[in-house]
Amino acid sequence: MQEPVKGTVTPLASLFPPEEAQKASKRVQDALADRQSELDRVQGFIADNTALVNLVQRLPDELHHDIMVPFGKAAFFPGRLVHTNEFLVLLGEGYYAERTSKQTVEILNRRGKALESQVDSLKAMMKDLKAEASFFDATAAEAVEGLVEIREDYVEESSSERVIETGPPKPDSPRFSGEDSMKVAAEDEEYARMMLRFDELEKEELAAGSGDEHNEADVDHSLSQLSGDHVLGSLEERQVRKPLHHSKDEYATTEELLSKKHFEEDFANQLKSKIQLEGLKEQSVPKDSDDVSHGKSFANRATQSSSRGKDNIQALPTSKAETSVQSSKPATDGLKAFTGSIVEHTRNIQMNPREQAPSSSQSSGSQPTKPVSRFKMQRR
Amino acid sequence: MDGLIQEKVQRFEEFVDRRLKPDLVHAIAERDKVFEQQEVFSNLRRNIENLEKNSVTSLQTMVNLGSEVYMQAEVPDTQRIFVDIGLGFHVEFTWSEALKYISIKEESLANQIQEYTRLIASIKAQIKIVCEGIRELLQLPAER
Repeated sequence: MQEPVKGTVTPLASLFPPEEAQKASKRVQDALADRQSELDRVQGFIADNTALVNLVQRLPDELHHDIMVPFGKAAFFPGRLVHTNEFLVLLGEGYYAERTSKQTVEILNRRGKALESQVDSLKAMMKDLKAEASFFDATAAEAVEGLVEIREDYVEESSSERVIETGPPKPDSPRFSGEDSMKVAAEDEEYARMMLRFDELEKEELAAGSGDEHNEADVDHSLSQLSGDHVLGSLEERQVRKPLHHSKDEYATTEELLSKKHFEEDFANQLKSKIQLEGLKEQSVPKDSDDVSHGKSFANRATQSSSRGKDNIQALPTSKAETSVQSSKPATDGLKAFTGSIVEHTRNIQMNPREQAPSSSQSSGSQPTKPVSRFKMQRR
Repeated sequence: MDGLIQEKVQRFEEFVDRRLKPDLVHAIAERDKVFEQQEVFSNLRRNIENLEKNSVTSLQTMVNLGSEVYMQAEVPDTQRIFVDIGLGFHVEFTWSEALKYISIKEESLANQIQEYTRLIASIKAQIKIVCEGIRELLQLPAER
């Protein structure tokens, strides 16, 4: 499956030369210094702002204040502030507003908040840069130390198995090509595993089934009575294996298992609750050999999922001649013995080519499949 | 021999880059500062002359409190003016005294500017000489 040699070993120094890492670190440090000076500047603004707020709040306390009035940049006149509750505040773009002390303080507080948010963002940026710088430093140090990077592709072990499970087409091909023995063996294993899983699910169902609908419970009971779960499981396994090795037709039944499972997944999605009941009926049918109910259930299903039925019918003509009779609804009524027919007909289009073989071949093969289907459906 | 020349060229280049060029930048910045001062004083002189011409005795003005917040201020007596004479000292002048001081100050500022201009020129000349020396060391044909 996988190649024996996996993964690569790369010295970190080749990926990130230490000088380069140090250079990068230095650049980040420079950026950090820029941010720091920016931060200092903004914090200076904040200090000015708070000082101004204090001043503006204090000025209206007196009618006038004696000050040195600046006259140009290099000269002053002795003078005084008048109208101490009138401020002219720059709003921006050369527009000024006349405000009182309180209103000015409000404006200044808003400015202060904006500045503080700037400080916050700057601090966050600096934090990021510091992390970056420390990362670069660490990388440089590691590169100098001669650290190596080991990279190994992750290969999912069960990937091939899953393909077989989920993709019926795979089993299909070997059949047509003439049964590659190796493949068959692998599939055989697969089926056995699947069956085991089904058994488990069955047990779970039996354990938890009491809470379900009565019909289901009855069926469960009947199932267990007819054949113990374990027996059933083993039977299934055997049946699965046999067909694989011996006859194409029987092999097809195992495929049918798969396909049926798929179909039922799809189908269950579409008609959840109803299908459950019907599935139960179907299961009960083969065991009881109750033709009428069997036919009915099938008919119901067909009517309920008209589109599906149509698909089946359309697809069937392309399939082998033997199955054509059984594939249609009336045929199922006529051929009571073939319990598997129900399953086949209700299948998805993609399964059709394979359906025919099972329909012709067996009644027994279908039985093991049924519990599987039912549980699948119940699980949905 | 080659190695010696290379070493010398490198030393010359370092001298230009690390000594002369920063010196030049510094000198230009200083001269710009003096230019600014000169402008301030010429403005002040013009303003005082204006006041004299209009014989203003009192004036109203807006004082910047910081962050572009202004307040009205009035000057009841414009006869006396305090002029910055440097190092944070302000001297109380009458208008005529102030004008006399300003003219002297402007002269001194002009001298400073000349000095700085000369300094800048000499630094530029030094840079050129060193570059020329490098060129000779490398025995390159004279450009320009």
